[in-house]
Amino acid sequence: MVGEVVVAAITDVELMKASQIGMKALAAAIAIVGTAFAAAIAEMAIGSAAVGATAENKDVFGLVLLLTVIPETIVIFGLVVSLLLIF
Amino acid sequence: MLAPEQMSRLLIVASKDQMSPVVAELYRHNLFHIEDYVESGAEGYEGFKIGTPISGASEASGDLVKVRAIENAFSIHSDDFEVKTRRNQSELQVTIERELPAIEQEVEGLTGKRAKLDAKSKEYEQKIADITPFIGIPGDLDLYRGYQRFVVFAGYVAHEVSVPVPNEMYFAKGKTGNFIVVVAQAEHRQEVERVLQEAAFRAVSIPDEAGVPKERGDFYSGQITLIKKEIDEINQKLDAIKTKHADFLVACEEVLKVRVEQTEAPLRFATTNETFVAEGWVPSASVATISQALEKTTNGKIFVTELPIDLAHDSVPVEYNNPSFSRPSQLLMDTYSRPKYTELDPTIMVSIVFPIFFGLILGDVGYGLILLAMCLGLRKFLKGEESQQLIAVLRNASISSIFFGVLYSEFLGFPCPWPYLLPSRHLNIGAHATGHGPNIPGLMMMAIWIGIVHITLGRVLGIVNHAQHDHGAHRTKAVLANAGWILMIWGILFLIWSMVPMPYMPDFTTLPKVVLTLNIASVVGVVMLVVGLVFIARESALEIVELPSIFSHVLSYSRLVAVGLSSVAIAMVVNYIAIGMLIGPQLENITLVGVIFIILGVLVFIFGHVMNTMLGILGGGLHSLRLHYVEFFTKFYKGGGKKYSPFGLKRRFTED
Repeated sequence: MVGEVVVAAITDVELMKASQIGMKALAAAIAIVGTAFAAAIAEMAIGSAAVGATAENKDVFGLVLLLTVIPETIVIFGLVVSLLLIF
Repeated sequence: MLAPEQMSRLLIVASKDQMSPVVAELYRHNLFHIEDYVESGAEGYEGFKIGTPISGASEASGDLVKVRAIENAFSIHSDDFEVKTRRNQSELQVTIERELPAIEQEVEGLTGKRAKLDAKSKEYEQKIADITPFIGIPGDLDLYRGYQRFVVFAGYVAHEVSVPVPNEMYFAKGKTGNFIVVVAQAEHRQEVERVLQEAAFRAVSIPDEAGVPKERGDFYSGQITLIKKEIDEINQKLDAIKTKHADFLVACEEVLKVRVEQTEAPLRFATTNETFVAEGWVPSASVATISQALEKTTNGKIFVTELPIDLAHDSVPVEYNNPSFSRPSQLLMDTYSRPKYTELDPTIMVSIVFPIFFGLILGDVGYGLILLAMCLGLRKFLKGEESQQLIAVLRNASISSIFFGVLYSEFLGFPCPWPYLLPSRHLNIGAHATGHGPNIPGLMMMAIWIGIVHITLGRVLGIVNHAQHDHGAHRTKAVLANAGWILMIWGILFLIWSMVPMPYMPDFTTLPKVVLTLNIASVVGVVMLVVGLVFIARESALEIVELPSIFSHVLSYSRLVAVGLSSVAIAMVVNYIAIGMLIGPQLENITLVGVIFIILGVLVFIFGHVMNTMLGILGGGLHSLRLHYVEFFTKFYKGGGKKYSPFGLKRRFTED
């Protein structure tokens, strides 16, 4: 009787641990997906404007490259958060 | 180092009869950056006019246009042309007058003929297209016209039709549509038209030909083949001319370009009736050389003097002054913006830090070796200064990648036999993976330390820049604002260290408490924060909204870890799929199907690593560059300097 209860409790604890790991992985995935979409949407607009500006004047290439990659920081933050969540 | 080449402003005055020798001498030295004269009635230049070209300018530019036209026809580019022998300029000039018209005539004749043949071939192709629909209809082409009492309709219809009046009709189904020919009496024209209209009739013109349609088509195809043959012959002749005269043509272009630039130089000078004045910039080290050379060529009939420089108003051209290993990085600087003359030139720092960042991201012995081999191979194929610089930058980066690969102990994602000296990046990928896994906190702290140091360095350079070039109250404020930013960063760090113990960072949590719950380190941190804030706000209160950038910019350096880890993950996944899943299990017991799996595994391995190498160049290169452009340069660097482009040419195919 007591033995069964102990076994049930142990399985419960293992299940809980497993689901915690799963939740962490999900949270990490959400962090990456959300920030990646955000960065992509932001870069979409900047990128097309940047190509247009470069076509007009080749000298601004360095500057517009810089402007295009600025939102990339968002996804890096997402990656940092998810890495911290998992490890 | 850290500053561009020092420049001097030179004023040259001489009488007009000395113009040619002076221009030639300046051109030969290739050092004098001409400041173009603009007729704006500037002080001291009242009554001066822009000069007129030296005689021979229009002939030379006419010849240059001809040479370039021929080069275009042959698609010769002097940039990717190997120098074999250098020709003597004066000899070449005689040859140009003798040979150029002949070559031009020959080339023009041949290209003209080729254009005519091309046009003819197009015309025949059109005729074939016109005849093709009639091939399916029995009857010669001359039977379709020349009637007075009959009308002929020919064209495409949507479906078969039946015409209610006496007629002769042919119908042919084809891929492009149903072709129909109807011949009817002229008085029934309207009925036929109505019936055809209902079937969505599209008329085609009847070709002006006689004979069986198929034969006519074949005849024109034969003609086109003949024309193609003739065009091939002409192309061969042109190729022969190209191989024979290509050397001569590039040399011609160079000589003529020299002549045009020299004869048109006076357009950039200020002149009076008898004299001319040229102003420009020369590297300070070469002032004596230029002055002496000019005095010598004109037998002293010239006045050369150095003018004072007004840094606030003069736009001084900028020439880099870097040790040879930093020179390729000038390309990265020019992509952003050339430094101003009065500014610190960070090229040398970029040339050291860029490869380090690249190596930290793509630290893998295997990928480093692949990149190095690629650079050494490409160096032979790519011509032109910029491509060579780019390859040199990539070469340094790949060497750094190998170095960091040794430290990370990685080879194409596999661990090397020696232990890692930097925090581990080996992920546990695959069902049977064992090991410690990556040391994420260690990697993260490493990246953040790099960020803190790099940004602090940027702010220190900002202090130096403002201290050197600003004046008065603004100077003090700007210097203090930069110092304020440094105080803010380190103040925040002190506060964090005094509250939370962190790996790889100083731990101040155990220090004795001084005020309330604050210990010495927190007090120091708070004081630094407040002082920093005051310094920043004194320069511009709006800067306060930029405060979060302290966190975002430092954290941005975690891309050194993040992008690197993703590259490691791809490499390890490729290895696991190729070797762990496809090749490994089959090797234990080789069968025919197993061999196919092994081949598949090898293909996955090659494809995966080629793709990862490409991603590695992009990721490692762009992210390192971005850390420089966005996080580092914004702290101190303005740019916008004018490029130093001296009057002259580095001769490649000819000599004076």
